[in-house]
Amino acid sequence: MKISRDWLQTYFKDPLPDATALGEALTFHAFEIDGIEHIGTDDVLDVKVTPNRGHDCLSHRGIAKEISAILELPMQADPLRTAATLEPATPSITVTIEDPTFCPRFTSAFIKGVKVGPSPDWLRIRLETIGQRSINNLVDATNYVMFDVGQPLHAFDVGKLAATDGTYHLVVRNAKSGETMIGLDEKEYALSPSMTIIADGADRAPVSIAGIKGGKPTGIDADTEDIVLEAANWNGPAIRKTSQALKLRTDASARFEQVISSEIAPHGLVAAVDLIQKIAGGGVVGFTDQYPITPAKVVVSVMTSSINATLGSSFSDSDVNDVLRKLDLAHVQEGDRYDVHVPAERLDLAIPEDLVEEVGRIMGYEKILAVELPALPHPPAISSSLYTNERIREHLVSQGFSEVFTSVFTEAGERVIANKIDGVRPYLRPSLKPGLAEALERNIRTKDLLGIKQVRLFEIGTIWKDGKESITVEIAVEKVKSEKTEEELRKDLDATIASISVPETYDVLPLSETERYQTFSRYPFIVRDIALWAPATTQAESVLDTIRKEAGDLLVRSAVFDRFEKEGRISYAFRLVFQSFDKTLTDVEVNGIMEKVSAALKAQGFEIR
Amino acid sequence: MQRGHVHPISSLIREANRIFYEMGFAFAEGPLLEDEWHNFDALNVPKDHPARDMQDTFFIKDEPGMVLRTHTSNLQIRYMEEQVKAGVEPPYRVIVPGKVFRNEATDMTHEAEFFQMEGLAIGTDVTLANLKGTLARFFKELFKGASVEIRFRPSFFPFTEPSVEVDMRLVGEHVPEKLRDRWIEMMGAGMIHPNVLKNAGVDPTKYKGFAFGMGLDRLALLRWSIDDVRLMHSADLRFINQF
Repeated sequence: MKISRDWLQTYFKDPLPDATALGEALTFHAFEIDGIEHIGTDDVLDVKVTPNRGHDCLSHRGIAKEISAILELPMQADPLRTAATLEPATPSITVTIEDPTFCPRFTSAFIKGVKVGPSPDWLRIRLETIGQRSINNLVDATNYVMFDVGQPLHAFDVGKLAATDGTYHLVVRNAKSGETMIGLDEKEYALSPSMTIIADGADRAPVSIAGIKGGKPTGIDADTEDIVLEAANWNGPAIRKTSQALKLRTDASARFEQVISSEIAPHGLVAAVDLIQKIAGGGVVGFTDQYPITPAKVVVSVMTSSINATLGSSFSDSDVNDVLRKLDLAHVQEGDRYDVHVPAERLDLAIPEDLVEEVGRIMGYEKILAVELPALPHPPAISSSLYTNERIREHLVSQGFSEVFTSVFTEAGERVIANKIDGVRPYLRPSLKPGLAEALERNIRTKDLLGIKQVRLFEIGTIWKDGKESITVEIAVEKVKSEKTEEELRKDLDATIASISVPETYDVLPLSETERYQTFSRYPFIVRDIALWAPATTQAESVLDTIRKEAGDLLVRSAVFDRFEKEGRISYAFRLVFQSFDKTLTDVEVNGIMEKVSAALKAQGFEIR
Repeated sequence: MQRGHVHPISSLIREANRIFYEMGFAFAEGPLLEDEWHNFDALNVPKDHPARDMQDTFFIKDEPGMVLRTHTSNLQIRYMEEQVKAGVEPPYRVIVPGKVFRNEATDMTHEAEFFQMEGLAIGTDVTLANLKGTLARFFKELFKGASVEIRFRPSFFPFTEPSVEVDMRLVGEHVPEKLRDRWIEMMGAGMIHPNVLKNAGVDPTKYKGFAFGMGLDRLALLRWSIDDVRLMHSADLRFINQF
């Protein structure tokens, strides 16, 4: 939620600290900040409101409340603590709610004689600063109130509603199959019976997809004079389903999805009515309030001792008292127990642990010291699965195997993913073999870079076969003459597995001693062999030194791969691997290097073969 | 034949197990293909929670109610259930590393399959301060020679209350420059929600506990300055043989 610092300031008499300090305060006591942006003369904080606070904090008022508690800054006025009276009632608007589960409350106001026009600068700037488009004074007023107190509203043009004997009738009902509505965004939406809509009269078309989008035919335009303002409360999960089905997420639906208190509706309505009269004129005819489901009052109790027992803190009664006061949580203290009368909008506060969190975060988690767990009388049990797999790992690594993890997704198997986003390899693997075979092939191609004689891979992983899930080990071995075959190595492995019995403690096994990973080049490499005759006393390493010096940085691997003695001389064969970090090397470049290398070796008296 | 190489994730799990074992933690594993009860409901994730939307979770065709687990937290429930069934009362301490899944496109920092490690400690007297102490010791031993600071920030997870984000800062000469003196987000954690204990058959009026879930790929990335998370799952020995 984008929060304007200037907007937030309207809640406080004292000047707020700068945006960075506000961001810090929220970060360590309430919400993560996704960023701070300087816009015009204002700063905008992108506050990542957590799902449990979508009830009350997707608004400037909600964030102001948090800032007030965290920084101990008194709020000038809190719109949700100010009486909002929906009087006088008007008989000109009637509202019928067919199923209150989907609409716990519906309030409305009838205003006559408004003048639609551009918004005053202050309002336009407020909205534009938080990334909203200014439309006209009426629509802007409803949006402003939504971003201010969190109650979405919608304005209908009364002139476009059907009247019966001078009264207007709004019906909240499920959509009928085949019904459609053109939204304010001029798109046509196909509705279905699971969706809640507002209809213009008993037998007429939808004029709003409840809590999500108003309809174009009854929308505000330049000629609108009389309006009905709606501030309702909608069922969160139902709104979410409809919004998903229509692929239509709006600022209103985003708020209703999170479930907001039906107690906010009149506050939002009165705020919008006041603002509209101020900037668009008109006179209030009256209000309606259908409130079929009144929420129960919630009292949650918590004790200082249980707060400390959960947090490992040593907070005092007065600390707890202070936090509740700062958060404006009315409470009654009985000894060290606090009975908190939860304000309607704080739907997140339902169990004692919720209050433990309030105390923890407002006091600050830096006050929680690090304390190690007490020792237990017995050492933990040994996991036979871990023990066995670790022994298998050690056996295989000692045999020159490297461990890989391949994907569980594959081309064929018993079980298939129903909704794989990329569509490829939708099956769960019934065997590790195909994945390992593929990995083997890829690694054989880069084997010269690895400086190994034979690629040996293993994986310990999960498979789904014969209707069940299990963990298994497989190996994949490159065919190399004079080296062991996969079958031989598998036999060795099976013998090791058969010999494992799980003892009382784990073995101490080596850990990686690597300090840091070195990026490798993604460009192709070129291999060159060079063979030469050397005097019997010549060490391979000294020849390699010369080669490396002459070849330079592009030589990434060099090793002797063949050696034999004949008639008092040694024949060495070296394999040289060239690769660049910046480009694909050409044969011409490598040939040039090889000529330099040959020349240098010849100059030292070696006979190149 | 020269020695081969253990995958860095396995090395990390080996090391984590060694450190946590000393602190009294057992080691457990569990199914990757999981029922929604263990992956969501028992963890206090309501039916209409956005995390249960189609795009995040892999569902299995013709097996309603089965998903590829989206976290290792399913083992919180399974481990507790198992202990309760065996008649073993808390204290429970366990770590659970393993593969988890998110149905999303992959890039340098996101993988559809990745590794997580869950941790759980339950007893009559386990506190959030113990969580701080446990993690501080873990990181201290993992990043040998560094002095480690742990910081909590408020957060939200359906299965913990209070919930925190855990940041770590390493100070010391031996710390790789990229990590030194910087706060790094490490994991989500918190005190286990009483509903979760109840759902697994543990009496929340008697016992409390903490739980954490850290990304092992990310930890490996930080530990060894690895620049692309996809390397972890690449089966490429140019990568693995460096460890």
